[in-house]
Amino acid sequence: MIRPKFPILHVWLDELSDIVKDEGILIFIILLPLAYPLLYAMIYNTETQRELPICVVDDNMSARSRDFIRRVDATPEVKVAAHCVSMADAQELMRMRKVYGILRIPSEFDTELWRGNQTVVGLYSDLTSMLYYKVEYLAVINVAQELNRNIKVREHQNTTTSREESLARWPIRFDEVKMYNSAGGFAAFLIPPVLMLILQQALCLGVGMSMGRSRERFHGLVIPPTKHYKNTLAIVLGKGLVHFLLFLLMAFYMSTCVTRWFGLPQLAHFVDLLGFFIPYLLACTYMAIFYSSFIYRREDCILLFVFMSIPLLFLSGVSWPGASIPPLWKVVGSVFPSTWGLNAYVRISGMGASLGDCREEIMALWILAAIYFLLSCLMYMFEIRKAVGRSLLN
Amino acid sequence: MLDTITNIWHICRRELRMFSQRPIFLVIMIVAPLGFLWMFTSLMQSGLPTKLPAALVDEDNTHVTRQLTRILGTMEETHFVLETNSFTEARKAMQRGEVYAIFRIPKGTTEAALTQRQPVISFYTNDSYYVAASLLMKDMRKMSEMAGLAMTRETMRARGFRDDQIMGTIQPIVVESHPLGNPHLNYSVVLSNLIVPGLLMLVIMLTTSYAIGMEWKRGRQKKLYNMAGGKTWVAVVGKLLPQTMLYTLIFWLIDLVFYSYLQFPCQCGIPRMMLWGLLAVLASQGFGLLMFEAFPGQMRMAMSACSLLGVMQFSLAGFSFPVSAMDKPFQWLSNIFPLHHYFLIYVNQALNGYAISYVWSSVAALVLIFLLPQVFFYRLTDAFLNKEYEP
Repeated sequence: MIRPKFPILHVWLDELSDIVKDEGILIFIILLPLAYPLLYAMIYNTETQRELPICVVDDNMSARSRDFIRRVDATPEVKVAAHCVSMADAQELMRMRKVYGILRIPSEFDTELWRGNQTVVGLYSDLTSMLYYKVEYLAVINVAQELNRNIKVREHQNTTTSREESLARWPIRFDEVKMYNSAGGFAAFLIPPVLMLILQQALCLGVGMSMGRSRERFHGLVIPPTKHYKNTLAIVLGKGLVHFLLFLLMAFYMSTCVTRWFGLPQLAHFVDLLGFFIPYLLACTYMAIFYSSFIYRREDCILLFVFMSIPLLFLSGVSWPGASIPPLWKVVGSVFPSTWGLNAYVRISGMGASLGDCREEIMALWILAAIYFLLSCLMYMFEIRKAVGRSLLN
Repeated sequence: MLDTITNIWHICRRELRMFSQRPIFLVIMIVAPLGFLWMFTSLMQSGLPTKLPAALVDEDNTHVTRQLTRILGTMEETHFVLETNSFTEARKAMQRGEVYAIFRIPKGTTEAALTQRQPVISFYTNDSYYVAASLLMKDMRKMSEMAGLAMTRETMRARGFRDDQIMGTIQPIVVESHPLGNPHLNYSVVLSNLIVPGLLMLVIMLTTSYAIGMEWKRGRQKKLYNMAGGKTWVAVVGKLLPQTMLYTLIFWLIDLVFYSYLQFPCQCGIPRMMLWGLLAVLASQGFGLLMFEAFPGQMRMAMSACSLLGVMQFSLAGFSFPVSAMDKPFQWLSNIFPLHHYFLIYVNQALNGYAISYVWSSVAALVLIFLLPQVFFYRLTDAFLNKEYEP
């Protein structure tokens, strides 16, 4: 193999050939970022719950209650899977997980309505998933409001023209617009931040494993005791460059291929994406290099980094609203690039924000990149001194 | 028999010595799960997020619209941090992530309302942030609906109707929703009960294959095998028993914090949940062991498999996105994960207080995941005798 003169290229080539030969590292830096996003996108690909089975207890058995039930059944959200005679039967179905909700129509439903009184319909939701409650509530409340308007207009307010009727129905009209995720789907909400999290975690695992291997191979040192490894800057830049470039490729694979295959929102300009990926990946790379220096065995990195994924997702404020996160955890979250990166990516790719709109996040990422870069330099300086000390002793 | 017990005891002692020499073990096994317990319970302290930031675009700015916005300001979830008369400004704030929703009252709303020309108000939610958007959407919808009803109510009052008559006219059918077991829709209750045990179970899977794989890595698998008197199961029990006890204690501590200190709903009583905790620990160890038997002697592959599958089980447990909504292959796949079954048992037992017979299949699945590795012990025996560590 031709050995280039510049130490930085030397380190770069060394790291690259090491990685390519190591199947364990390849799993994390090639297979994981290539395949995991597809798997996740497929899990959430259905976007939302449709035709959730619920059961109905109709104590009224009138034309009006049947109309109500038929309308509920017709909604896309739920389907009436069973009619039960009593609440006890319905509860039994619920316990057996055959249905996920009970709609109960009281015996005086129709009579009360004819009398012009209010009547109360009960909806009992299973909470195995929060989405069950949401879809059932939406389906039933939409039907109830529609019927309420009909009753109001046809039975209580005498209108003569269709214009009057429309006014009586809707004294104020309202439009609801879901922005940036018009179907209100799960994939479009969760996959973009998960993509960015996978980048960071895969980087940490890959770098961690390669560091652990060096430690095992060179008796506790992260660098081989050869003359090419004397220049701190060359090592830090050379090693970082390998992972940075590879993951830049992965980042574009995710933001273009995965996003397009699964129809996720993509409103970003190429330049904005690049302007975000560079600081994000730099920060991730050098964070991975710095934290990996605490790893002494290849496999330790899996222990240390894997289970961080879920807490990091929460700390980012994408799944749990950022506005409700206590200050202490905001501070803890701010030392990880993912916290800033997930938000910036969601905004740039999903909401068409420009780099200027994410100024705070991008700045934070550059600062983190600089801090972790310096820490990595310090760490390597220390390691070089250790290596030199050892070779003197030998 | 006595020999076997002595052997197990010796292997356990050897295992404990190994833990004490490795700080990483202590960090991962004790500090991390307890740290997550603290983190998640304090992170979601508020239960249901309230006072989420939103923007108000009042292009009309009259006393009528101001009255409307004052009503909006009293809502539980909504907190207007930005009041402006330019929609672009609000949209920019949304793109900067400062607000999750925009409520817009267009120019001419008051005039249209006064002259009975059906004004249109609109609200925009940012569904890239799903939870916040759903909560705000619910609030704003309710408010807009109310605004319309309030107008009818005023008209009817002026015509001399009684209030009960009015309510029977404008809202004849009332929907009363009962989220079972968690009436306040406290996210923290269910989410903490999924994530914290889930993270512990992930840690268990990883450390199981790590601790066993370590023997091969240090080239001591033959010594362990001899210590066990040539019995694979003795070696495995001796290796894993200290972890079982430690993790069970941590699981019970989590149960106590949840159901006793934080007063999360627990219909079945704490001892029962502790029993399911023990079963979850055993099943997770079984899962880790199974992965190691799939790649005998190769701890890295076993750990990679544990981590790739172990992180996925949070999605496939089905709390945020229900399993019933996923494609069929994933519905089947969810059954191999201990967390999915533990979560179903939790909902059945602690949240709803139903009889355990309704989730017997999940209990059986956990027992099965725990017992299954024993079928493949011959692979371990083979690995003890013939396999060397592969990096």
